[in-house]
Amino acid sequence: MIAEIALVALATVVPGGSNTNEPSTRVRVQSADFALKADKIFIGPHEVIENGMLVVEEGKIRAVGADIDIASTIPVFEHEGWLSAGLVASHSQSGGRSEVTDGTRAALPAAKLVHAFNPDHSDFEKARRSGITTMLLAPDGSDVIAGVTAVVKTGGGQVLSDSAHLGISMQTRALHYDRAPTSWGGLVEFLQAEFDAGLGNVGEAQAGRLPVLIEAWERHEVSRALAFATKNKLSGAIRGATRAGEQSDAMSASGMAAIVGPFRPGSDLRALKSVVLLEKAGVPLAFGVDAPGNSPDSMRLSSALCLREGLSRVAAWSAMTSTAADLLGVEKRVGRLERGRDADFVLWSGDPLELSSRVLSVWIDGAQVHGGQQ
Amino acid sequence: MFSFKSATAVSPNRVLNHSTSGMAHIGVLSLAAIAGSLSYHSIPAKLALGASGLDASTSAVAEPAAATPAAQKWLIRADEVHTAAGAPLRGGVISVVNGKIAAVVGAPGGDDSKSDSDDENTIEVFAVTPGMIDLGARLVTHPDAVEQSTEAAVWMRVSDSLDFFHTGWDRELRSGVTAVLASPPDNDVMGGLSCVVKTGGAPELEARLVKQDAALRGSMGTQPSMGNTPASGTPQNFYVRRPATRMGVEWIFRKSFYDAIAAQSDPERDFEGADVLQAVMRGEIPMSVQAWLTQDIRTAIFLKEEFKIPHMWVDAAAEAWKEPDLLVRSKIGVVFPPFSFNGRVGREGGFLTFGAAKEMHELGVNFAFSGHGTRDVAGRLAQQPALAMRGGLNFQAALRAATINPARMAGVDDRLGSIEVGKDADLVLWSGRPFLPTSRVVGVILNGELVLDPRKDS
Repeated sequence: MIAEIALVALATVVPGGSNTNEPSTRVRVQSADFALKADKIFIGPHEVIENGMLVVEEGKIRAVGADIDIASTIPVFEHEGWLSAGLVASHSQSGGRSEVTDGTRAALPAAKLVHAFNPDHSDFEKARRSGITTMLLAPDGSDVIAGVTAVVKTGGGQVLSDSAHLGISMQTRALHYDRAPTSWGGLVEFLQAEFDAGLGNVGEAQAGRLPVLIEAWERHEVSRALAFATKNKLSGAIRGATRAGEQSDAMSASGMAAIVGPFRPGSDLRALKSVVLLEKAGVPLAFGVDAPGNSPDSMRLSSALCLREGLSRVAAWSAMTSTAADLLGVEKRVGRLERGRDADFVLWSGDPLELSSRVLSVWIDGAQVHGGQQ
Repeated sequence: MFSFKSATAVSPNRVLNHSTSGMAHIGVLSLAAIAGSLSYHSIPAKLALGASGLDASTSAVAEPAAATPAAQKWLIRADEVHTAAGAPLRGGVISVVNGKIAAVVGAPGGDDSKSDSDDENTIEVFAVTPGMIDLGARLVTHPDAVEQSTEAAVWMRVSDSLDFFHTGWDRELRSGVTAVLASPPDNDVMGGLSCVVKTGGAPELEARLVKQDAALRGSMGTQPSMGNTPASGTPQNFYVRRPATRMGVEWIFRKSFYDAIAAQSDPERDFEGADVLQAVMRGEIPMSVQAWLTQDIRTAIFLKEEFKIPHMWVDAAAEAWKEPDLLVRSKIGVVFPPFSFNGRVGREGGFLTFGAAKEMHELGVNFAFSGHGTRDVAGRLAQQPALAMRGGLNFQAALRAATINPARMAGVDDRLGSIEVGKDADLVLWSGRPFLPTSRVVGVILNGELVLDPRKDS
């Protein structure tokens, strides 16, 4: 893969650091596959390393920082631009659209979204183009308990987690006219009966071993979802939560995170303001993209629209990276540029939070999966 | 039980302290509140309690009340206080402390004096009535709020289907309706259990619930069978269930109760909801049945008598006036739909005259009004008493049919429905004589909170 790289400046050999009397903050790297120097390494809005270096070894981040000595044998590439962690999209049906919800029964908790995952689907190419390297595959909310979500890489076919959440829907969409439950109250009763029985993955969720992802968009749906989660001592996230900022006390009391969006120009201003209120209440935030129905690019657009309404840059960034990884249970693998984590990163033309910045190339597990042509 | 007479020299006709069971602690509070608030807010001498030394002797008791947050304490001075619990008071003062009515004081001669008090906790208004209660409010109309996978979902509680973010709640609250019976929409023969909720407060059930399982909702007529068809081939959806006619609706109704009776003696025949139906037959849960037209009202009455259901009312019973003998014989209650000027009401073409309420009153039938949750200002509950009065009903009976009658029917009269010491401070403040076309609801107090302030332009 390395051979295919056509970056801004190639293979500049940096003199190897041989001085052993350097300060202890200076990192020495003797072996690695390659290193990347970037004008700015964007760890987060408050942590931008000027003229930093990222060292990759066997698909992992070996080192990241400004003061890195590497052995002269290690090839170094230079990028005149920005480098950040790969983005994490917290809700999609990519590569499986009609396959992600079985629909034959209201509850199918043993179903696993990972079996709907087709890694070669063009949806993932679109995701990579948007800088997204990790995605949550989740049900579409039309069944009450639709199965277990999966976390996958958008390139290379790797599955990070085949049991990320129990996917539950308490939204109106889960009510059908051809099977019970047909009502909001019936849904609560149906769900409670499943939890009272506590079989299989429902039991795992009950025991706290499997987080839940509850679809609830309207405020009354969110009220019901929070009451249900609290009553059954569940942890996880609310997917949708369109105006949950107006219920932020209840949200923060429940300990549930919110997976919001996607937003677009013309989105309800109250929904955007709600995201800001959720941040103020300390509710962890991530963005769903609902690809392929929506463009994966909508994630950066969503964060920009929220920024415009007052969301902090830190929250806007972590909702696309570290917090998202936390909510997906893959925080030890992705979401941050840190030693030991997967070498998933994006080279940008500028600040990743600026919509005018372009994705120039995308890397997953140290291999380039998109871009590179200037 | 605390008695005003023994503690003060106030005459009973000036202080209303209607005894309601379980209010002993409120009695003490009311003394504190009267002493505290009346002496605090410089009430004219003729309104003050008169007992010399009262202020001094009770000032220590008054301290805790005075220590509560200012917003939790109101003194409402009105030219007319219509308590719905006795004769109206001309010139009255209501003290509200911690969400409850702490004292009600009347001045039989009227209160001509105007206090120049600028105390922000004192409100002056022309008239006060209890918060109105609507048993037929229809604020829950979305078909997803009722379980339609069965036509007799008697065990289902509508409380899990409520949407407290719906704008209808606030609309009702600001028009003077402080509590409603929330019932499932009438897409089932029996849609489940209704609950009494306040129309304001935090948007969660815990904050708003007054009474769970306040009634079992049933429906006669065309609505529960609407869209249903006989099954042809493989059933594809719930519209192929029975019933498709009034007869089918009645059959489901009767079958459910017979099954519940059978389940009583045979555990093997027990089913989900049998306990609810048995509680209805024992009179522990009232039954509220939508029945607009004569034939549906008759059916409801026959079922009440057949299963000896003690507490039942027909809701939206436009044509109940056509069956006076059956109403009296069965002791069934009546909740009117909103009156109309041409007499035609409801989609099924019921006919209702302004004089119907007066007839009910003269027959001794228990009845209440409803606004059906309409957006139309002229059709709300606050307008119904005036239309019934146009038909000859007296003011007091009209007032009760919007307040204490529905409270009693739904079993919440221990807390709601009248202005009495110890009850919830749910009050409506009027610009003139209540219900008159020239009068307006200018203020609303809910749980002691001023949710509509008459001192502000609205």
